[in-house]
This record gives sequence, C-alpha cells and structure tokens, in this order.
Amino acid sequence: MAAYLIRRLAYGAVTVLGVLFLLFILFFTVTDPDDIARKAVGEKARPDVYVQWKKNHGYDRPLMLNRTHAATDSRRYTDTLLFEHFRRMLTFDFGRSDADDTPIAKRLMAGAGPSLSLTVPLFLLGLLVGIAVALFVAFFRETYIDRAVLVVCMLTMSVASLLYIIGGQYLVGMLLRWFPISGFDPDAAVIGRFLALPVLVGLVTGFGADVRLYRTIFIEEMNRDYVRTARAKGCGDARVMVRHVLRNALIPILTNIVIAIPFLFTGALLLESFFGIPGLGSLTVEAIQGNDFSTLRTIVYLGALLFIVGQILTDFSYALADPRVRLS
Amino acid sequence: MRLSIIAGLAGLLALLGCTNNPYPEVDRDQKVLYSSFGEAPKTLDPAVAYTTAEHVVTGTVYDSLLEYHYLRRPYELIPGLAEAVPEPETQAGERQTYRFKLRRGVLFHADPCFALSQQGRNTREVLAADVAFQLARLADPAVNSPVASTFADILGFTDFAKRLSDLRKSGPDFTALPIQEQYKRAGGIEGVVVRGDVELDIVLAGPNPQILYWFAMPFTTPMPWEAVAYYDGKDGRPNFSDHAVGTGAFRLTVYERQHRFVLERNLNWYGTRHPEAKAPGATFPTQIDQADIDAGRIDPAYAGRALPFLDRINFSREREGIPRFNKFLQGYYDDGGIIKESFDAIVKDDRLSPEMVARGMRLDTEVEPTVFYVGFNMEDGVIGAPAGDRSRNLRQAMSLAINVEDYLRLFLNGRGVPAQSPLPPGIFGYNKDYRNPFRQPDLPRARALLAEAGYKNGIDPATGQPLKLTFDTGNTSAQALLQYEFFVSAWRELGLDVQIKATTYNQFQDRVRRGAYQIFQWGWVADFPDPENFLFLLECSNAQSKSRGPNTANFCNGEYDRLYREMKNLPNDDRRAGLIKQMVQIVETDRPWIELYHNEDYNLSHAWLVNSKPMGISNPAFKYKDVKPAMRRRLRAEWNTPVRWPLYLMLLLIVVATVPAVKTYYRERL
Repeated sequence: MAAYLIRRLAYGAVTVLGVLFLLFILFFTVTDPDDIARKAVGEKARPDVYVQWKKNHGYDRPLMLNRTHAATDSRRYTDTLLFEHFRRMLTFDFGRSDADDTPIAKRLMAGAGPSLSLTVPLFLLGLLVGIAVALFVAFFRETYIDRAVLVVCMLTMSVASLLYIIGGQYLVGMLLRWFPISGFDPDAAVIGRFLALPVLVGLVTGFGADVRLYRTIFIEEMNRDYVRTARAKGCGDARVMVRHVLRNALIPILTNIVIAIPFLFTGALLLESFFGIPGLGSLTVEAIQGNDFSTLRTIVYLGALLFIVGQILTDFSYALADPRVRLS
Repeated sequence: MRLSIIAGLAGLLALLGCTNNPYPEVDRDQKVLYSSFGEAPKTLDPAVAYTTAEHVVTGTVYDSLLEYHYLRRPYELIPGLAEAVPEPETQAGERQTYRFKLRRGVLFHADPCFALSQQGRNTREVLAADVAFQLARLADPAVNSPVASTFADILGFTDFAKRLSDLRKSGPDFTALPIQEQYKRAGGIEGVVVRGDVELDIVLAGPNPQILYWFAMPFTTPMPWEAVAYYDGKDGRPNFSDHAVGTGAFRLTVYERQHRFVLERNLNWYGTRHPEAKAPGATFPTQIDQADIDAGRIDPAYAGRALPFLDRINFSREREGIPRFNKFLQGYYDDGGIIKESFDAIVKDDRLSPEMVARGMRLDTEVEPTVFYVGFNMEDGVIGAPAGDRSRNLRQAMSLAINVEDYLRLFLNGRGVPAQSPLPPGIFGYNKDYRNPFRQPDLPRARALLAEAGYKNGIDPATGQPLKLTFDTGNTSAQALLQYEFFVSAWRELGLDVQIKATTYNQFQDRVRRGAYQIFQWGWVADFPDPENFLFLLECSNAQSKSRGPNTANFCNGEYDRLYREMKNLPNDDRRAGLIKQMVQIVETDRPWIELYHNEDYNLSHAWLVNSKPMGISNPAFKYKDVKPAMRRRLRAEWNTPVRWPLYLMLLLIVVATVPAVKTYYRERL
C-alpha cells in the first residue's frame, strides 16, 4: 500500500507541475501584465503609474528568459515570471492580490469559513435527501411514484442552475417571503436564516442527478442474489433495504462522496455570488472579473491539489469499504 | 426514516418562525441607512482610491478642505475644513498662491495610532502640516497615486518626488526611516508652505484655477502621519489601505472589504462639537430650490439644522443586480438604481409606474458629468485631417447618419441625454438651446456631403467599391459588438463599408500607440465640474500621438488650442462663456467626434429616506440624508408578511401522492 501511495503522489506531483505550467501559459497568452495593471490602477491613470505598479508587483520581469543577465548567471532563468510563478506556488507563498494588495492566504482563510458553512450542510443534506428518496423510489420501482420522481428528476436536470437561483430568490424570498433573498451573517443565532435559501436551491439543483444515480445503484443491488437470499430467510423490507442494499451500495456512492469532499473548501461559485456569501466561490468570481491573476492562479492551483488529494482518498476509501479491493 | 421525519418537522417549525428580514430586530427603530455596494473597494488610502466604490467610504470618512454645495447646480465650491474658499494671489513670474486657513479644534477620529506621537492619547487636532504630509504622499512614487500628475503645477512637486526616489536608492538607511522623516529629509515640496498650525500656502508655478476642485476630493484630505506609520500590516495591525483615520462626520467601525462595512456617527466631528459655528459644510443649506421641495427630494424643515442626522450607515455587498433590486423592493435597502431587466416595469414614459408611486417611492434623475462619443483618428490619411475638406465632409456625413435617440432606446433604456457638444448639462458653458447641426439625423444631407467629399453613394472612386473604413475596439463582448453594429449599420445606409476590428484591449492599445486606427468609441467621466475637464480632451498637447494623453482623436487645431489656453484660467464669466462657444463651434465643424450622449443616473428611493438628492460628481452626501424609522418599520412589515399556505399544500400533496402507493404495496404483499 505504501508503494501505491508513493506512486500516486508522484503522479500527482507531475500533474501539479503540468497544471502550473498550463496556468502560466494560459494566463500570459490570454492576458498580460499591462492588462492586469490597467485593471488594478484604473483607466484614467497615467502610463508611469502602470509602470510603477508593474514594478511593485514584480510583473516587470521577462516571461521565461532574462537577457539582461549574463548567460552564466543563474538569474537569467530565476529572475523571470515563470520561475517566480513556480517558486510562489510550490512554496505556498501566494503573495498579494493583484486587485487590492491583500495577502492571498489571508483572503483564503477568511473565505473558507463562509464557504464551508454553505457547502457542508448542502453536501450532507443533499446526501441524506438523495439517498432517502432514491431508496424510496427504488423500493417502489416501476410504480407511478418511481415514474413521477424520474420525471421530476429529468425536469430538474434540464433547467440551468442560474434559473433555480433567480427563481428561488423570487419565489421563496420575494413572493413567499420565507427567507432573506441574499446576505450572510456568521452569528450562530441567525446564520440559518441566510443559508436556508441557498441550501434549498442547491438541493433542488443537485436533486435530479443524485437521485437518478443512487436509484440506479440501489436497483442494481436489489437484483443481486444476496437480496433474494435475505428475503427468503424472512428479512423485512426495511431491513433488506437499509441493512443489505444500502450498505452494499455504499461502495460506488462512497467514491462519489469522497472525491467531492475536498471541493467543499472551494465553495460554490454561483450560489455564493448570488446570495452574497463571502466565501471562496465569490472570491473566484471576483478574481475572474477583476483580472486578479495572482488570486486566480492560487485558487486553480489549490483546486488541482484538492482534486488529486480527493482521488487518492477515494482509492483508499474504496479499499477500506470493500476488503476485496487491494491497492498495489 | 425517523430521522427524516424529525428533520422535516424541525424544518417546518423553523419555517413557521421564518422571516426574510436580513437585519437584527434591535436595529428596527434606529436611524440606520441601509445601502449596498457591488464592487468592493480596493483601497481606502485616499491618495490612491479613485473609483466610485472607494469614494463612497473615503468621501464619507475623510473630510476635505473644500466641498460642493449639496443642492446648487451648476456645482459650487463651499468651505469644508478650510474656513473659506481661497482666492489666488499672483506672485512674481506668473506664480500663484492659494492660502488655506483650516478651522481650529478639528479632531481626527479616535484611534490608537495617535499614541505614536504622544503616549496615552487617541486623537489630536488637525494641523496644516497634515495637509502638507498628504500632498507629499501624493508625490511619493511608492504611494503610486493615480492623480499625482494633476499636482505637478505645485512648485517643486516633481522635484520632491525625484529627490525622494534618489534618496531611497542611496541605501537602506534612508528607507528604514519613518515615512514622515523621509519626507522631511527629502526637503518637502517647495510650493507647499506650512505657515503655523492652521495656515498653508499652495504655490503654483503658473495659473491653474482647476486645482481648487482637487481640494474638494479625498485625495488632499489632512492625513495624520501616525496612521500611515502605525497601520503597516504587522503584528496583527491592518494595512493602512484597509483602515481609515479621518475627520469626517462618520467613522468606519466595521470593514470587511468583500462583505460589508459600517459607518457610525463621529461624535468628535467639528460640526457636532461646534454646531453654533454654523460651518457651511456642517449645516443643512438654508436656500432650497422649490423644485427639490415639490419633488419630495428635500424636506425644507431641515434648513439650517446641524448635520449629520443618521446614526449609522450599513453597506452590504450585493454582487448581482437582481437580488439587490428585489431587496430594495422589499424595503431592505433605502435607495438603489434600476436594473435593466425591470426598467420597463418600474418606469413608464420617464415616470414611475403607478404601482411604485402607490408604494411611496421616488424617482430622481440626474445627468452625470460624462460624455460618450465616437471619435475619428485625425491623423489618418482617409478619415483624418491630412485628407483636408474631403475628410471633413466625410466625418460630417457620418455624424448626420447616427440617430442617438434610437441608440439610447435600444441599449440604455433611454437613460441618457443626446449630446450636442462635449459639455454635459450642469457644467458651465453648456447651452440647453444649442443644437449641433451635424447631430440631427439627416440622411439626404449626409448623402449630399458624402458626394461633396467625392464618395458618391459611399463609393470610393479609387476602387469603385464602397469606401472601406475600420471601427477599432478593445471590447469583444457580445453587448459591445451589438452596439458597434448599430453605428456600422447606420453608415451602411450611406453606402460606406465600415468593418468592426475587435481585438483584445492590449492589441487595441497597441494600435492606438502606433496610430493604426480610424474610428473608435470612448467615454469620459469628469473628475470635477469644470468645462476645462471636458475641453482638454481635444487639446493638441494631450494628443495620444504626442504625449499618450487622453486626446485619442489626435485632434490638433491651433485656434482651438489658443482659445483653450485662454479659457482655462478664466473665472466662470461671460468672456469664458464666449470662448467656450467658439471652441464648441470648431468641434462642430471639424467633427473629430460624433458626440453621442451624457449618461443619466436613475435613482429610486423609499418614502422614508429624506434629503436624498443625486450628485453626479462622485461625492457621497450621507451627512445630509435622514431616515424615518417608524415609517420604514410599518411598510416593511406590510410588504413582507410570510405566505405559509403553499408549504402546507406541498406537504399535503406529498402525503396524498405517497399514501396510496404504500397502501397498495402492503395490500399486495399481505
């Protein structure tokens, strides 16, 4: 297992380096330091202000080769944007935001709490509702309930998530007036009021895909021999569904769950943006809109790291859940 | 299953006690103004902050030496922290001096930074040296103020920046010194002379009357050196760009840049401590325009009362327009703009819809000091000055083809005033009766002019094909391209073949630098309400090709420049008006621009918000505003009672749909 872990980590390291290089190419071909500087200091600023800003933020270096240094001088390669990009990311020295000069690590820390306060309940409730409904419809498969729920699933999957957000805000916040349309307050006494609507919208958005997936898994399990055996031995329906079907179906469900866990930290882009939740999803949207290259590359880099971690965790959780799986 | 039922019941109970009110109950009777912001401020350093989002905070927290009269239009300067608006005194060699005398006894906001200069104190009096310190910060290359070049007329301003820069390069000993010590050792700015505690001379190398407007902005606010030195981002202290120590009527008490900020009434404010002084910047104006009273914008009962009226201002971040607007409709924001999606439902024939009037809402519009235009590169061989009268006729014809009323209706919900000249309403020299003969759509005349230019029916005689021109832009968004297509279609009516060349902003800038462009669209938002701040956009020394200045049309007309230089330094009198008229006539004939429109701000406010008059100039005016909490509480409750029956109906439907299946299943099983 140790050898497997080392191999996976090595693959992961290569992937991370690839992601970093791609990020560099992508950002500096799509945009350039002048563009970043213009966004940061404003349209009206004189050219000397741009130049000074680029100097202050280290964007005055050449991309990959600094010809101002001699060929034998290592600074020819280290005094470049490419080297600085890799150095910062690999040492987790994310630097300061291009947009507002705030330390990026500080902004990430500040955004993680609000993001988790939205994504964790959404994730747990989504899981609970998805599994409960899927078990229910699997139990009543081929009945009008099964068909009705499948139609609802298809409908919810066919509608864009943005529409759920705007529609949810209008219906629940404006017409029914149950919860605030948007806003956030970390105070434990009132936070539920602000999270209720985004969680509800998030649940509806993910409902169709989750229920369909889990239902398929459950039905597949229900057709297996051990279920027939359990029934033949006189097990009740509830016991068969919960003790046998659910437990065995957990293995494929687990892969789905574990890979999603790291992404709880990166927040939900649209939900946070529309509901005014100051999390990492909002930070990402803002970095995209504001040409905040240094923040955006940090978020993409951390996203890649989390993805790799998620994959490794999935493999290990699979082995833990199913003794037949051996990692080698 | 049991768990789901319990969770469901808990959810139901929570819903029964639900509310859509995003604010704590304890605030409902407070004099709190609720507002929102879309774009987060990048910095609160008044030397750097330049955007409207930033000025909302810096303009409220930092007092300036001068201010704008809240109600008078055209805008008029009044004293702020200064006792009077200074008059220039001409010295030898064309030098001019403005002497500012600051009010005595003005205190900074209470802040721990003041312990740096004297142990145990948390505020101190504002001194003339604090203004000099801020001007030195504007010159400091490390501060990188976007408006530094504006102050270059102050004697020795640029030299000070250079000396400071050289000393910093001399070694780490100098850079290790506290910032105020660095400025002192660099010798200060020659033209900023501190004369005692509260007197300050600003000496200019030559006349520049517009400089006074910059003293009505937060850039030149008195700045305590202690704040800059103390807030260095170390040992848990925030950076200076995230902390404000000013003298304003409100102080910043909560600043979560991405999320919310709270401003609270400053009990140390000079207007609050000395209401008997009736300082112009601390007293509600006594002369109120009847139109403002009739429109319900201004309550005359406030005339002469001491400012401010609010206890607190709450700003919440709303990134998206739709939720912000819906919360305004619910009464959770006291004022706001109108989103495009709802414009037609809210405004009908330039008036509020009856539903909104019934809710007591008020619509205020104000033309902002802006101008948006299509420009021609006057150095281009076909469309510009080198082609002489031929190109002038061509530009005039193209100008006659654009119907800006259609443009405004299609793209801006009509929120704009068609521009006849570079000058918008509210700016001295604007003539409301003036009609530019080339800005009234007239296709037959345009065709005649085109024929006169030698392009009959738009055909270029050199090729026998429609004359090819390019519309250059650095904006590739679908919305922008649609707008450019509007112009291209209008010119196609004349037979011209104008191609849109949309590239990245940098490529466009590069083409502008190389002079490789023909037609472009641009806009200008004025920094201050003076005609100079618009007419300089066409002055030759500001040409993009000569100085990388804002004259992107590269318009150079000797007579225009002569008139500009004469007009620039004159007071707003008949002579100045005459010169402006001549300049406008030159622009009218030469057509370096096709003037499009001046932006119009539509602002909605609820009945409980009093004394809210839009200010086109980016100048927050919260100290003049007031709210009526009792009315707000009553109307909010009326508009936001939860509707619960759909919840019961939903639960009933689920039960009704599920029970038969369960019953059938068990019947079959048993």
